Amino acid sequence: MISMAGKTISRWWALFVLPTFVAFVIGFVIPFILGIWLSLCRFTTIAEANFIGTKNYAAAISDPEFWHALWYTALFTVVTTVIVNVCAFAIASLLTKAIRGANLFRSIFFMPNLIGGIVLGYIWMLLLNGVLQHWGKSITFSGTYGFWGMVLLMCWQQIGYMMIIYIAGLQTLPGDVIEAASVDGASGAQTLFHITIPLMMPSITVCTFLSITNGFKMFDQNLALTNGAPSNSSELVALNIYRTFYGRAGFEGAGQAKAVIFFVIVALVAILQNRLTARKEVTA
Amino acid sequence: MNTVRKTTAVIAAAVLTMGVLSGCGGTGSSSSSQGRVYYMNQKGENNEQFVQLGKLFTKDTGIPFDITTASPGNYGQTLKSELAKTNAPTLIGLDNNDFPNWVDYCDDLSGTRMYKDLQNRDYVLKDGDTVKAIPFVLDRYGIIYNRAILKKYFAADWASIHSEQEVRGFDALKKMVEEIQAHKSDLGIKGAFTSAGFEASSRPRYGDMLPHIPVFYEYRDQNTTVIPSKVSGKYVPNLKKIFDLMIKNETVAPTQLSGATLDDAISEFALGDAAFIEMGSWAYPQLRGKKVSDKDMGVFPLYMGIPGEENSGLTISSNYFAINSKASQKDKDATKKFLDWMLDNDGARKIVTDTMGFETPFKSYAKAGFKTKNPILRANDVYAKRNCYDLVIRPLPTAQWALTMADAMLEYAQGTGPWSKVESSFVDGWTSEYNTVHKS
Amino acid sequence: MSAKAKHSGWWTLFFTLVCLLWVFPIVLVGINSFKDKVYITHDAFSLPLGDMFAGLDNYRKGIEQTNFFASFGWTVVVTVGSVALILLCTSMCAWWIVRVNNRTAKSLYLVFLFNMIVPFQMVMFTLSKMADIIGLNTPWGLWIIYLGFGSGLPVFIFTGVVKGIPQELEESAMIDGASVPRTFFEIVVPIMKPSIVSVAILEAMGIWNDFLLPYLTLDLRKYRTISIAVQYLKGGYGTVDMGAMMGCLVMAIIPIVIFYVICQKYIISGVLAGAVKG
Repeated sequence: MISMAGKTISRWWALFVLPTFVAFVIGFVIPFILGIWLSLCRFTTIAEANFIGTKNYAAAISDPEFWHALWYTALFTVVTTVIVNVCAFAIASLLTKAIRGANLFRSIFFMPNLIGGIVLGYIWMLLLNGVLQHWGKSITFSGTYGFWGMVLLMCWQQIGYMMIIYIAGLQTLPGDVIEAASVDGASGAQTLFHITIPLMMPSITVCTFLSITNGFKMFDQNLALTNGAPSNSSELVALNIYRTFYGRAGFEGAGQAKAVIFFVIVALVAILQNRLTARKEVTA
Repeated sequence: MNTVRKTTAVIAAAVLTMGVLSGCGGTGSSSSSQGRVYYMNQKGENNEQFVQLGKLFTKDTGIPFDITTASPGNYGQTLKSELAKTNAPTLIGLDNNDFPNWVDYCDDLSGTRMYKDLQNRDYVLKDGDTVKAIPFVLDRYGIIYNRAILKKYFAADWASIHSEQEVRGFDALKKMVEEIQAHKSDLGIKGAFTSAGFEASSRPRYGDMLPHIPVFYEYRDQNTTVIPSKVSGKYVPNLKKIFDLMIKNETVAPTQLSGATLDDAISEFALGDAAFIEMGSWAYPQLRGKKVSDKDMGVFPLYMGIPGEENSGLTISSNYFAINSKASQKDKDATKKFLDWMLDNDGARKIVTDTMGFETPFKSYAKAGFKTKNPILRANDVYAKRNCYDLVIRPLPTAQWALTMADAMLEYAQGTGPWSKVESSFVDGWTSEYNTVHKS
Repeated sequence: MSAKAKHSGWWTLFFTLVCLLWVFPIVLVGINSFKDKVYITHDAFSLPLGDMFAGLDNYRKGIEQTNFFASFGWTVVVTVGSVALILLCTSMCAWWIVRVNNRTAKSLYLVFLFNMIVPFQMVMFTLSKMADIIGLNTPWGLWIIYLGFGSGLPVFIFTGVVKGIPQELEESAMIDGASVPRTFFEIVVPIMKPSIVSVAILEAMGIWNDFLLPYLTLDLRKYRTISIAVQYLKGGYGTVDMGAMMGCLVMAIIPIVIFYVICQKYIISGVLAGAVKG
């Protein structure tokens, strides 16, 4: 039923919806549609685009560096997701216990999250190059160095964020269930794996997918820390797209095609997440 | 609820003002009746001086002058995104590596005074017969040395070379460099060469400047000045010789090169920690006034064991002006006015010659007696007197070619890749990059 | 309980050490910001004593080279304006979508949801080109761009919030003759206030630190945000002055830390509001 109030409100669309909608069309709808169209064109500007079909996609797929970036990103995402979430969960469960100074610790863990990716990248460039100096190396020595450098950076930035979400989740756990378990003689590990973690599934899903999206979309930190060096071997997919697009003339189409492929991957991950969360909600 | 309403009112007002402001901004900048000059500058080290030059120009003529500077690492990116804008650059700085990529944006310059004022018209960049870009600065590069350190070396009893004049080819250079490196503590230095850094700011010295020497001889062998579709790679072993010499006799371990910056290398040289740096005349503004005095700066050509190289002088390179063919006529005229002004105005000539330290290829500068004292440029006078030929930097297929070269050279230097990769980047990379640009 | 209390001391010690490690990267940047640039790459871990000490030189150079205070100002203009506009417009939009709830409203909602999963690279060229054509390449133009490209998440959060607000209050106000805007601003907004603050924090964090969108969109000759200024130090001028870089990093971090100390409570609620995004 649409209420009377609903009908009255709907007449005010020009005030309530139009501003957002117009901005949305300018800032998203048109660029998005043009983006798909341009991925099928050879172009330097929007005005001078010639339709060439799927050639750009062929060029994108046949670029070995794009594949490298995709695998590199996938691996990066998996590794950071696991490390960030395990650490964040561990810290969260310790910091919800009666530890003196817990609040201060939480604040400190969270702080790096407020610093922008570019600044973060340069902070870690200084630190990592300083450490590697002892072995006569630098962070851009190889793609592997860059990989672990970015993993460290990502952990430093994200653990505090995920920790906050886990703490909020832990605080809503029913204390009586856990108490009952320990009265029944369940060990700490048993309580953790059979009671706490299942009850925490909603938070875990949210955090997991947040880390996955963050890993997949990471750009600023990559640009500042390694900028793909050496030989584009430490290049995540977002940076690869950017470089393909703006790196040299004649490759705009391939760059745009890569962007569409990237979008499809991100969308698939999001849909998968939606399915999983929905199923969890049913069983919970 | 009053606060909420007030806030809303303020925001609404702000939104309205914004519309008005942005409207004003738009008309304000484009309504200038005399057009405007917007220079996209590739010579990062001269950014400040060009800003200064622009201010003087605006003061003299009332024409607004804008500038954006980007370094070699992201020049193409910046230029492209700027060219795509409504207020695009009117004057474009180019080098001959990437010229083919931008040729569509270059207006015909054959009618300009700057073209007619050139002392030597051979160096202009052409598309077919159309003059597309004009050199405005002649740079020299090679191996800059600290004469004070060399004098100490020449005087040592373990030295096998005893004067600068003896260094006329790769063998003497190699002997000298290796002896200096072996006795670095006796000489009070950290290494013979400064670090051969491959961080983006320093990378062009190896992927671009160094390979230009074998490329010059490739052009000579093919008897052409127009870019060939293939190169033989005959001189790649020579490239290896000089590169090996640099990375084995430097201030840092080769494994650290990926992060070493140009600033690192320049500081090492300027503080007297190293005897040699592969660099060019454009670094002079950063070198002067430090520990190495002007008269202690000398330059050797980039010897690499190529037959006949004892008669070569320093490498000559240029940076070019092109006028954006897609700019409005008014803006093109304003830009041409800027170029004319640069030729005639004493203030401009003084900034260009003295502050920037540029050697200019223009008759009007020579006639008015403007000649730079930049010691790195003047170092070529010795070779000119001996009638040495200039090592001219010939066009590379693309800037990407140089980037790929640098990547392969870095991997070789740190021991993570084979030299054969450098070879194939040089030869096969040339063909594939040539085809990328020249496919129709 | 006694066992727990005994362990607690050890855990405090443990976390104190970990936290010291945690702030170390920032402290390191602070230390190096007082060091002459020559020593930064090679002696990152030594204290800036004797020859190495550069005083405030790096800060001076950093400010000069990047025109730091102007960048700071523009970042404030972009962030404050965008956040205000986003809060105002998307909360109104979300309320309208939930209360009207017809087919138009529902499909509008779906389109906004779709917006949330599109990575910026997908529209980076077309969006910046468009911003340029219609003159939105200014800090105030970015307000509209951010409202447009970033409206998905706030609309999503706000619709969730509005769905939880009982309709009766609004209806009775309207029956009493209150206009629709008045009902919204005087009845709905106060109820939504906590979530508005959370979304404000969330958006402010994102926009303050954003790099690529302003970098591609703004007219860089006139306007640079802090992230752009820092990146320019690295890529803009041929050489990299690590000293000036350190100075700028410290100056970029300080306002954030101050903001964090003041608004910590809200920041954490902002994070939790954003956690629905996934």
